[in-house]
Amino acid sequence: MNPLFFSPPHSPGILASPTSFRLRMFEKSLTDLIQGLRANKRNESEYISKSLEEIQNESAAIDKLNYLHMLGYDMNWANFNVVEVMSSAKFSEKRAGYLAASQSFNQDTDVLMLATNLIRKDLASTNFMEIATAELAMDLFDDVLAILGHSRPYIRKKAIACLYKMTLKHPEGLHDFVPQLKERLDDPDPSVVSSAVSVICELAHTNPRNYLPLAPKLYHLLNSSNNNWMLIKIVKLFASLTPIEPRLAKKLHGPLSSLICTTTAMSLLYECINTAVVGDIISVPLPVTDSIGREIDFAELCAHKLEVFYDSSDHNLRYVGLVTLAELQVRRPDLVVNQYETILRCLDDPDMGIRMRALQVISGMATRRNLSQIVKRLMSQLILSNTIALKPGNTEGGPDEDELESTPLIDPSGVSLVSAKGSFTTPKKAASSSEPNAADNPEYRLAAVEAIIDMCSRQSYANMTNFEWYVAVLVDLVYIAGVDVGQLLSQRILDVTVRVRQVREYSVRMMRQLLSDVRLTDFVSGESPHAAVLSTAAYILGEYCTLVPASCDDIGLLLFPCLRQLTSDQQAAFVLAAMKVYTNWLQDVSGYWNDEVWELVRSTNTTTMDSITSLFLGQEGDDLDVVVAELPLQVEGLLRSFIEITKAVSVATSNMSASEPPVCRELHSLFTMYELNPVSAAAQGKVPVPDGLDLDSWIGDEIPDTSLRVLPPPPPPRQTRAPAQRNYASKDHKANRKDQPLGMLPDVDSIPVMQLDLGDLATARPKPRKSDKPKKKKKSKSSKRHKKPTPEPSPPMVPVDIVGDEDMPDIPTKPLNDTPAQQPGSISGDTDNAGAEQPASPPQQH
Amino acid sequence: MGIKYVFLVSRQGKLRLVKWYITLPQKEKAKIVKEVSQLVLARRPKLCNFIEHKDTKVVYRKYASLYFVAGIDMDDNELITLEIIHRFVEVLDRYFGNVCELDLIFHFQKAYFVLDEMIMAGELQESSKKTVLRVMAQQDETEATENAERGWGDIK
Repeated sequence: MNPLFFSPPHSPGILASPTSFRLRMFEKSLTDLIQGLRANKRNESEYISKSLEEIQNESAAIDKLNYLHMLGYDMNWANFNVVEVMSSAKFSEKRAGYLAASQSFNQDTDVLMLATNLIRKDLASTNFMEIATAELAMDLFDDVLAILGHSRPYIRKKAIACLYKMTLKHPEGLHDFVPQLKERLDDPDPSVVSSAVSVICELAHTNPRNYLPLAPKLYHLLNSSNNNWMLIKIVKLFASLTPIEPRLAKKLHGPLSSLICTTTAMSLLYECINTAVVGDIISVPLPVTDSIGREIDFAELCAHKLEVFYDSSDHNLRYVGLVTLAELQVRRPDLVVNQYETILRCLDDPDMGIRMRALQVISGMATRRNLSQIVKRLMSQLILSNTIALKPGNTEGGPDEDELESTPLIDPSGVSLVSAKGSFTTPKKAASSSEPNAADNPEYRLAAVEAIIDMCSRQSYANMTNFEWYVAVLVDLVYIAGVDVGQLLSQRILDVTVRVRQVREYSVRMMRQLLSDVRLTDFVSGESPHAAVLSTAAYILGEYCTLVPASCDDIGLLLFPCLRQLTSDQQAAFVLAAMKVYTNWLQDVSGYWNDEVWELVRSTNTTTMDSITSLFLGQEGDDLDVVVAELPLQVEGLLRSFIEITKAVSVATSNMSASEPPVCRELHSLFTMYELNPVSAAAQGKVPVPDGLDLDSWIGDEIPDTSLRVLPPPPPPRQTRAPAQRNYASKDHKANRKDQPLGMLPDVDSIPVMQLDLGDLATARPKPRKSDKPKKKKKSKSSKRHKKPTPEPSPPMVPVDIVGDEDMPDIPTKPLNDTPAQQPGSISGDTDNAGAEQPASPPQQH
Repeated sequence: MGIKYVFLVSRQGKLRLVKWYITLPQKEKAKIVKEVSQLVLARRPKLCNFIEHKDTKVVYRKYASLYFVAGIDMDDNELITLEIIHRFVEVLDRYFGNVCELDLIFHFQKAYFVLDEMIMAGELQESSKKTVLRVMAQQDETEATENAERGWGDIK
């Protein structure tokens, strides 16, 4: 090391001269620079800017620049110098120069022209670079092609790799290159062959068809070579060729199976199995003789060999094993099933990658038999990993009881609710005290929740034997997910409740419990993950409130203090649900009308009015119409109806009467005139447009302002209710609209669509089922639009969000009829609990 | 399908060597290197050597205080990439003689030359340790002769 061997005096004036530049290259050696850099750890950037200046001003070694470039500093200003050094006659300098060029030059480098000429000149010698740009490729292609026949293998193999890069930028060159490549496959030097194979492998990956003619030669190599590096490439290459030439699969069957049986290199084994599985060579119906001479199916052989991977103690092998197993599962699920236990073990692996892969495989494995076990496993992972696991009392005695025992759940009794609140809002903090756990990773949690839901609801709940258990799982997930899956969960809860009649009663009870959990309802806002679930719960409670004993407490649950924090759609869902629950309760108490009931109705009515007033109307004495008109559109109409109902009830009950007032008895029938059934999203398209209905024409006067067109249509009660209710609602509506400055909403009652809804359609098609459907459709559509929570504020009117009906049958009979039949015969241990559970859950008796 | 990039990063997160086999803007490269090194450095022992980063599979291996990191395609063979990394380390070890991080710091250009001999255009170019070492020795010799002729001695 002799850095200052030759150091001319500092003279910036002659910097431009190449000679001086080169002469002074070693003034401050590379070692000095690096050492200096290390000595100045604290103010590294300062040191570097100083050094950069030095390099610029007094001396420069390309290597120094290289080093700094690696650290991320710009060295484009030195491009010209780099070319100078490249042109040096000295090998050492040339070498440094080329290294610099290959590291730092790119397509936009200005000195490329110089470089191109230089490289051309240098090609006669030994070294060349591998950056490739379009022009460079074009200019140099022939030169490189010429040296492909060079006498020295060292040059030939480099030329091959170089040409590959060039053809990427200069595809026309392929024409000349491919025949040459073919010749190189016969090269006596193994590394040249290997290089050629690698390049063909790359090229065939993008365009396999062109390389089919090479297959025989490659096949020969596959059989004759014993270079594992190259074999992997060849196998990979065949993986891209087989899809376009199915006959190859048969051919490959032999060599691949013998490789799999004999090789000791794990990487080659992995590649062979992977290719066999992905390239579908396993489906070739030829028997294979395994290592001990038995004849077995090729796919079985692969599966058997794969066991070595994912059963191994080596994490890397486990990982790649699972990757391939997932592929195998797609094609031969039967072979994967036996590995259930192993995969379950992998689910607890500390490595995220392995876990995710195992999750993928396990969710594909779910069957009726093992579903509850898998879900239980995943749920306990979610619970154990983080201390938020608070749990409503609802599942006690529930089908998944045993799962709860194993988990440190906070006691859902009244005392701990308060203390649990804190940890609930900050779940991550609580968990972080323990050592990092893969199950704390939000990505994993999300994947786990999605896997659970996917396993359970796949193919219209094909795996499901116990729906109440499923609802309980979904409700548990609300608590323990720890990631924002509210939207997903609420969709699934709604889906299962609507589609599976048997579970509705249970579901309503669960929803009631969710709504009465202050940990969920306190501080909720439209953005919080629970908001979606809560409004779905409200919808379900409202829609199916007749299935459980009526209770006036539910009204209070629905008109809870934080209601106004939700989005307007969510608010609307709550208001509508409250209305349904209220009228249902009135109807219920009408059955045993007496003095006490009368008192109770009066007081409840007052309380309800008070809740509405305090929630929505603010100060007493404000003009009610003005305040209401300022509410979100979805809420406004509903609220008007609700207020009218409470007024009507208070008028009817102002004096004690011997028998119940008719209004109390009849109000709820407004909501129960016909039942809502789930319909497929595509069902709407099957309904023909009635004669004389032009869906594109304006209803009422045209609205000039475009921004108003996206407003939702008038609230549903007016559209879908019985005539009595409509008149009732519309009277005050008309009156109010007069005062409205915009006056933009058309008079709903005069719209012809309304009549079509209820009467015309039914008469237009005499077939009962068909006439039924549009009615239901309309109803469910319009009501859901408002009752059902939607995340987007004020959604456009057209798309209907009937949740989860992508896979919903037109007529929801299948899951319904299946269910009772399934339960007795079910093997799942949970079924027994289900029976015991139903009576155990205390109905909320008023 | 080939290797997209190779880089060496110390436990402290300092880059020791970077080689790109695909073309990306400098900024993009820096971003990827930063993200991937964070991922790699955050790994605890006894985890597998593969990480998924965007559309790339990152294969890494730790040798003493140095992480060798390579980015490959999703459908590429992770095990063979690990082998390549190991082969690279073996060659470095032979070349420098019991290589340590300081060797790579002060003679990083040599490390680059070794890498260039082994991997070109993202493909394994030469799997034979012997050949690589022979070529390296030849080139060093040429360099030394030149420098001796000019009386500069062995300048590195």
